[in-house]
Amino acid sequence: PVMSEHSERMKKFKNRGKDAAALRRQRVEVNIELRKAKKDEQILKRRSISIAAMEKSPSPGEDKNPVIPLSLGEIVEAVNGSNAELQLQATQATRKMLSRQKDPPLNQIIELGIIPRLVEFLTHADNAPLQFEAAWALTNIASGTSEHTRAVVEGGAIPAFISLLSSPHMHISEQAVWALGNIAGDGPPYRDALINCNVIPPLLALVSPVTPVGFLRNITWTLSNLCRNKNPYPPLDAVRKLLPVLICLLEHEDKEIISDSCWALSYLTDGSNDRIQIVVDTGILPRLVELMGSPQLIVMTPALRAVGNVVTGTDEQTQAAIDAGVLAVLPLLLRHSKPSIQKEAAWTLSNIAAGPCQQIQQLITCGLLPPLVELLAKGDFKAQKEAVWAVANFTTGGTVEQVVELVQSGVLKPLLNLLLAKDSKTILVVLDSISNLFLAAEKLGETERLCLMVEELGGLEKIEALQTHENNMVYRAALSIIEKYFSGEENPDLQPGTDQDGLYNFSVEKQDFDF
Amino acid sequence: MELSDANLQTLTEYLKKTLDPDPAIRRPAEKFLESVEGSQNYPLLLLMLLEKSQENVIKVCASVTFKNYIKRNWRIVGIAVEDEPNKICESDRIAIKANIVPLMLSSPEQIQKQLSDAISIIGREDFPQKWPDLLTEMVTRFQSGDFHVINGVLRTAHSLFKRYRHEFKSNELWAEIKLVLGAFALPLTDLFKATIELCSTHTNDASALKVLFSSLILIAKLFYSLNFQDLPEFFEDNMETWMTNFHRLLTLDNKLLQTDDEEEAGLLELLKSQICDNAALYAQKYDEEFQPYLPRFVTAIWNLLVTTGQEVKYDLLVSNAIQFLASVCERPHYKHLFEDQNTLTSICEKVIVPNMEFRAADEEAFEDNSEEYIRRDLEGSDIDTRRRAACDLVRGLCKFFEGPVTGIFSGYVNSMLQEYAKNPSVNWKHKDAAIYLVTSLASKAQTQKHGITQANELVNLTEFFVNHIQPDLKSASVNEFPVLKADGIKYIMIFRNQVPKEQLLLSIPLLINHLQAESIVVHTYAAHALERLFTMRGTNNTTLFTAAEMAPFVEVLLTNLFKALTLPGSSENEYIMKAIMRSFSLLQESIIPYIPSVITQLTQKLLAVSKNPSKPHFNHYMFESICLSIRITCKANPDAVGSFEEALFMVFTEILQNDVQEFIPYVFQVMSLLLEMHKNEIPSSYMALFPHLLQPVLWERTGNIPPLVRLLQAYLERGANTIASAAADKIPGLLGVFQKLIASKANDHQGFYLLNSIIEHMPPESVDQYRKQIFILLFQRLQNSKTTKFIKSFLVFINLYCVKYGALALQEIFDSIQPKMFGMVLEKIIIPEIQKVSGQVEKKICAVGITKILTECPPMMDTEYTKLWIPLLQALIGLFELPEDDTIPDEEHFVDIEDTPGYQTAFSQLAFAGRKEHDPVGEMVNNPRIHLAQSLHRLSTACPGRVGDFHTTSLNAEALQYLQGYLQAASVTLL
Repeated sequence: PVMSEHSERMKKFKNRGKDAAALRRQRVEVNIELRKAKKDEQILKRRSISIAAMEKSPSPGEDKNPVIPLSLGEIVEAVNGSNAELQLQATQATRKMLSRQKDPPLNQIIELGIIPRLVEFLTHADNAPLQFEAAWALTNIASGTSEHTRAVVEGGAIPAFISLLSSPHMHISEQAVWALGNIAGDGPPYRDALINCNVIPPLLALVSPVTPVGFLRNITWTLSNLCRNKNPYPPLDAVRKLLPVLICLLEHEDKEIISDSCWALSYLTDGSNDRIQIVVDTGILPRLVELMGSPQLIVMTPALRAVGNVVTGTDEQTQAAIDAGVLAVLPLLLRHSKPSIQKEAAWTLSNIAAGPCQQIQQLITCGLLPPLVELLAKGDFKAQKEAVWAVANFTTGGTVEQVVELVQSGVLKPLLNLLLAKDSKTILVVLDSISNLFLAAEKLGETERLCLMVEELGGLEKIEALQTHENNMVYRAALSIIEKYFSGEENPDLQPGTDQDGLYNFSVEKQDFDF
Repeated sequence: MELSDANLQTLTEYLKKTLDPDPAIRRPAEKFLESVEGSQNYPLLLLMLLEKSQENVIKVCASVTFKNYIKRNWRIVGIAVEDEPNKICESDRIAIKANIVPLMLSSPEQIQKQLSDAISIIGREDFPQKWPDLLTEMVTRFQSGDFHVINGVLRTAHSLFKRYRHEFKSNELWAEIKLVLGAFALPLTDLFKATIELCSTHTNDASALKVLFSSLILIAKLFYSLNFQDLPEFFEDNMETWMTNFHRLLTLDNKLLQTDDEEEAGLLELLKSQICDNAALYAQKYDEEFQPYLPRFVTAIWNLLVTTGQEVKYDLLVSNAIQFLASVCERPHYKHLFEDQNTLTSICEKVIVPNMEFRAADEEAFEDNSEEYIRRDLEGSDIDTRRRAACDLVRGLCKFFEGPVTGIFSGYVNSMLQEYAKNPSVNWKHKDAAIYLVTSLASKAQTQKHGITQANELVNLTEFFVNHIQPDLKSASVNEFPVLKADGIKYIMIFRNQVPKEQLLLSIPLLINHLQAESIVVHTYAAHALERLFTMRGTNNTTLFTAAEMAPFVEVLLTNLFKALTLPGSSENEYIMKAIMRSFSLLQESIIPYIPSVITQLTQKLLAVSKNPSKPHFNHYMFESICLSIRITCKANPDAVGSFEEALFMVFTEILQNDVQEFIPYVFQVMSLLLEMHKNEIPSSYMALFPHLLQPVLWERTGNIPPLVRLLQAYLERGANTIASAAADKIPGLLGVFQKLIASKANDHQGFYLLNSIIEHMPPESVDQYRKQIFILLFQRLQNSKTTKFIKSFLVFINLYCVKYGALALQEIFDSIQPKMFGMVLEKIIIPEIQKVSGQVEKKICAVGITKILTECPPMMDTEYTKLWIPLLQALIGLFELPEDDTIPDEEHFVDIEDTPGYQTAFSQLAFAGRKEHDPVGEMVNNPRIHLAQSLHRLSTACPGRVGDFHTTSLNAEALQYLQGYLQAASVTLL
């Protein structure tokens, strides 16, 4: 699969400009990660821990009546019993345990088998404190692993929480929002189960100009989880319902709300072109581009991702992002101090560079070449890798004049230095870019000059050294450049035989010709 | 095969025989083993033997045989086909996998290595899916405490995992790595810690330390492989453990681990070198996470450099370590680590300067292995050397600190020069280092062709040259301080574009003088420097140095160059021969007085080296020099050609008779050049050779084809009539050569060269009977395997034919092969493809040919071909108006072997035997556009009304406009 993936791309390089859209690289190439989960990803599930929760705890009188610690046995007994007072105490004690900072006993609580009872408590509309404590406890269980979430869902929590959204008590409805967010965050099946249970209308109904900011943050986060995850994507009609509200939320002044709305849009754009189109059609791109330039990292990151996803789409979609001003913002991001932003920005640039030469021209006009070259020269390695792709795409789809412009921007030196990269793919993409540069040079009759430049910059000896690279494709690519620029088959039917005199025998059989 | 003692015995016998030096015994035994390797149990018998045999030789032999057997047969390529059956049956495969790891671990090292290789070959195919327990089996051995076993496991793991360093990222690969990390990372980390622990408890036990350090090296290598693709979560979480320990190991020293060997790197060096690689990997790829550790490594590595000795065994470590610093100091966010003046001074003083020193090993190479020395020093194959690494560090530091670094080094250069001045014969190495330092400080970019192309402006190169380089070269004795002489000459060579011309001019006699130096390096450098200076360009693409400026030196230059070829070790010195060639080319007619002596020396040389040609470049330049002698002399005096033939033919005959393959292509080229110098009918000496040139054996060698075609063309040009009258029976053989060439996609253009010459020069009646055959052949190629190159040549040929025999003849011969053939060729080939024709002469031939078809071919006017008339005219106008090919002006003086297009060892085209471009329609037609206008005019006068109607109604507007331009220019109108 590696070979074929690459040869696919090589083919595209050769068919210059024929299928530029196919040069665009979707976000995920490899599903398996060796690295730590990314620190700048949005959180999938959240547990409500006590200290934080207590500060804003809407539960009245808690400070006055400290919870009496109960044993697990006592909890089971009380929860299953019919004494409402004890039920509340036990549920509260459970919630407390689940809310402690370190090692909450999620498994133990699940093993007690009390989840169905806690779910049942959610329906006790006459006992708001019990509803609240149960909702909190279940929220925290659902915040664990998939196993934990499943225990909650299989306890029948989905419909119960959805009903609670309409609770007259705001803190209960907020807790329900949180719980549903955790369930939705588990993955496509539960996300879609929620959507099928019609979670969207009551959830959206909670969004109003008077909704307190804290609550709205929770709602936004849950909405974003409903947009999240692929294979399959969330159903299109759900997306259509969610989008208008998300667009509104994007105008909010709270940065966390904006951040989560951006994340939601980044999920919705992380897919096929028709999904991208739905988002583009809302006209939100200018706002997203504006947010890309936000000084707040939590806003900039998801906004950049969303726009980055859009430019993996068609030429028209990419053009929409360009028209929204993405090229004016990218230089800042390419020079951002945070490597992950550099990388994401370079990835975005690489996909714009995969477009038709008109878009490449805009990229030049907007001054993207200097920051690209800088990044190539001294960016973080992850960003350099993306920058190399940008150069490869640029040199594949650009006109000869554009390629000349790129070379004049000083791309050659950092590009050649990356032949020392400790990553075979990057080396190969650099070699491909160099071949593209030579193709352009050939058209201009400047091959010799390019040869000299490559040699001067120490590129020749690096390419020569790659002829012994362990990776076959790398060594072949290097060899072919050397053979073609730096060094100096038969038709058996027509071969003549020899005659008695030992010379070739001139003879031929006639056939019918049709050219 | 049964697993029986009898079979073990048989196998032992045969294995023993495979070790026999006598091929009569060895070969059949090898054949036998090969014939039984498809039998079940064969690999198991080998494993039994390598475990249980009484004789160690048999054990080792069995293990090697086993590994080779696995290498050949384990991989099953797709579905087993007839000739690639699966030779290893499933039960043997299972048994091998079940037994090989414990067997490997319990074997002595020699056998362990073979089995470890075998495991990694099997692992490449079967791991992890078809060998799920391999990892656990290996990891459990870590606890054995037996480091012989542990090292076996580590070595195997290394051979299994090292591919992670070069393969492309893919789901499959990363899934495997993830699996490996899950099972391996923690035990490896624990083993790493435990091994380090053991090292500190065994600090006084040399043999234990050796084993433990071998483990550490393997562990460090595994770390590199496992961390290569991306930074694994586990290693990020455990970075503290790994990096702290790596850091400590870098700073560790233990007398017991130091080796006496000066050349071979010891365990300590290997380990530290690998740690430098690991740190460099992290610094390059995981900078964000590694940042907190990096400063420590920078300090440790430069301390390491400061304390490491000059011995060769440290070379890899030192160059790795310096390269690490060089790569870090270029990064803007680490700039501060180097910024401090004291740091910079200390790096310059303690790291760079010592590693630039000329060492005993360099001195040895200079004297005893000069070829290698020159290659490293001159041609830049010095990537791994200390000097080179130090030079890279200088360049890296100059990126941010050019001023301070230049300042620090200037001080050093001065003090080293002073040291030298105090006592040159003792301190000459100081001056060598000073020159090297100036060179690396000043050169920012360099190419073979132009020397230094960008220099540090803070260094005054001319001043240094005048004060410190020229005095050395002016010294009376050319043999004193040869290293400094070589340094000085090299300085001229690489800074030739920086040093002013008048200084270079002053140096030329000094360089000529140094051609006499005994040291191979010195006289080679002198020749090379002269050669490079002679290729420098002045204004208007001429040479910087003129023949007039060189006039005073001609005699001494030629004398010294040829004398240098007689110095010991330089009898086939390519640099000297190249300098001879370049001198001839520069000096032109001023060499004529010396030609008699020169050509004698060259032919003697030729005769000598033809016994055993071994230096391709030398030989090439020698032939170039011969060609130049001929051209320069015969240009002034055409009759001199006879004396060259007299001098050369004897040697040439010898070369041809002895079939000296390397030289034959050259001989043909020189002969072509000589033959072309003749103004009259072909001499009989050449005719005698003609039949031999048609011998198939010559044409089977691709390297012979271009020069032989060239030679036959010369024969046809000068002797077509002689061939037609005296060698008519050889014409089929000649056409056979054409047929041979046309059958090959690689050589078809050569076939066309030959055919074009035949058509152009042979009397028509002599080839009459073959003409139809020729076209049938071409049509077959066109039908079965046409290429753009073929079509281009084909178009030129048919148009040449048309020019020579007339358009009607062309139409008639086409249509006699197959009805309507002419129309088909016009429509499918000529009209759509004519724009592809390139080259001025080629285009002109096509233009004249097509004009004839348009205006001198009645069927074009009156038959179904008429509909093609306008498209053909349109195509012709397109051919005219295509942008002209900018052919590069004649630059043969500057030519290098490497520049020659299509250079390959088999055929080396001689630039100075070059053929003048030949224009077969030159006299006939001057301006093909005017010619078209006049021809159209003639046609329209012959059949009034028709041509005018044709073109005004159907030609597209743009083409019409061009055409009207031609008519105007020719002052004619169409009726």
